[in-house]
Amino acid sequence: MADEITRRKFLERGIGVMAGAVTIGIGGVALTSIGAPAVTNKLEGKWVEAGSASDLAPDKFNPVGLVYESKDGWMEGKSKMLAYVKVSGENILALSATCSHLGCNVNIDDSTGGFKCPCHTGVYDAAGKNISGPPPKPLKKLEAKIEDGKLMINTMPKEEA
Amino acid sequence: MLGRIIDVFDRRLKFKEDFKKNVLDHPVPQRINLTYCFGGISFLLYMLLAATGIAMIFFYVPSVDHAFVTVEYITFDLPLGNILRGIHHWSANIMIVVLFLHMLRVYVYGAYKNPREFNWITGVVLFAFVLAFGFTGYLLPWDQKAYWATKVGVLMPQSAPVAGPFISKLLMGGDQLGALTISRFYAVHVAVLPIITVVFLVGHFLMIRRTGIAEPL
Ligand code: HEM
Ligand code: FES
Repeated sequence: MADEITRRKFLERGIGVMAGAVTIGIGGVALTSIGAPAVTNKLEGKWVEAGSASDLAPDKFNPVGLVYESKDGWMEGKSKMLAYVKVSGENILALSATCSHLGCNVNIDDSTGGFKCPCHTGVYDAAGKNISGPPPKPLKKLEAKIEDGKLMINTMPKEEA
Repeated sequence: MLGRIIDVFDRRLKFKEDFKKNVLDHPVPQRINLTYCFGGISFLLYMLLAATGIAMIFFYVPSVDHAFVTVEYITFDLPLGNILRGIHHWSANIMIVVLFLHMLRVYVYGAYKNPREFNWITGVVLFAFVLAFGFTGYLLPWDQKAYWATKVGVLMPQSAPVAGPFISKLLMGGDQLGALTISRFYAVHVAVLPIITVVFLVGHFLMIRRTGIAEPL
């Protein structure tokens, strides 16, 4: 008989199965917990008060730092982000400073009224549209409003400018 | 004195003979030259990195509110701390150069060919591990350079199709570059990579023993 199960073979296979089960079990548990935060550790969008509207120079972009309470895993603390806000009459245009290429903060380019990214020289126009360099998309638009003279900005981008 | 201590052991365990035969008198091809040293220099650098890295673990705290101050402490307050960190920093940088020279020599001499293909393959994996050491280590000081360079690095996979955004989140441990990122980079830098690197180094070295080093041109 070709597949006669000898005592030795039985033990060999048994050890193999147990070792495999332990490896898969422990490995599965470890890898699941290592990977889980990718899905569970979400950054929530928030309406943040960003100073008084009268401090903003009209018809040009003003850098506005947003500081807000957030939770990052076990850390409860402050998150920061940078926005550029332009108020023209009734209109408010708020752009996230996060470059659409690889996430650096873009700077205002005074010579064009648009933006320049310091990381790989991405260029955006004054509407936040990407016009040269590596950025594949425009800057993201943020929801913004003025309430009782206070500028309010939502940290979660809604759409592309 | 040291010789007599060694003799106490050797009389019982008889290793001197083997050591002489297998290490000191081990035959190597004639006419080998200094370019054959780059692999050994890489290993020496790895040991320097391990020693200085382990010493820094005594002080470094991988958290968003302590990483920077602990690195500052190592650099400016800790006696010889700047030397410790400096050796780690420069060994890490020089290691990349030396590894490149090692690969270049192997390539130019054709030493990757049969029967040494697996040495080349483990070598490529080791090089990837060293790059991963560099990438994860770079974030640890948690200064502006570390933060933005790592941000760019972790977002790169994002442009890959389908799994890209997920891979970025996996690297960051969530939606933002923050508390979970620094702790997972640290874990990979000081636990995961050192162990798997040693495993591959052992394979790399044992295989050279088996096949011998390649004849010079
Ligand atoms: C067992 C091996 C290692 C251990 C235990 C270790 C440990 C550490 C620790 C605790 C730090 C934080 C302190 C600091 O930033 O100065 C650090 C930083 C760093 N490590 Fe390592 N490390 C090891 C190997 C390596 C290797 C092989 C490389 C790359 C070739 C590397 C590259 C770096 C870099 C680039 C930094 C940032 C240095 C800086 O500018 O401050 N490390 N490492
Ligand atoms: S991150 Fe802005 S151009 Fe690359």
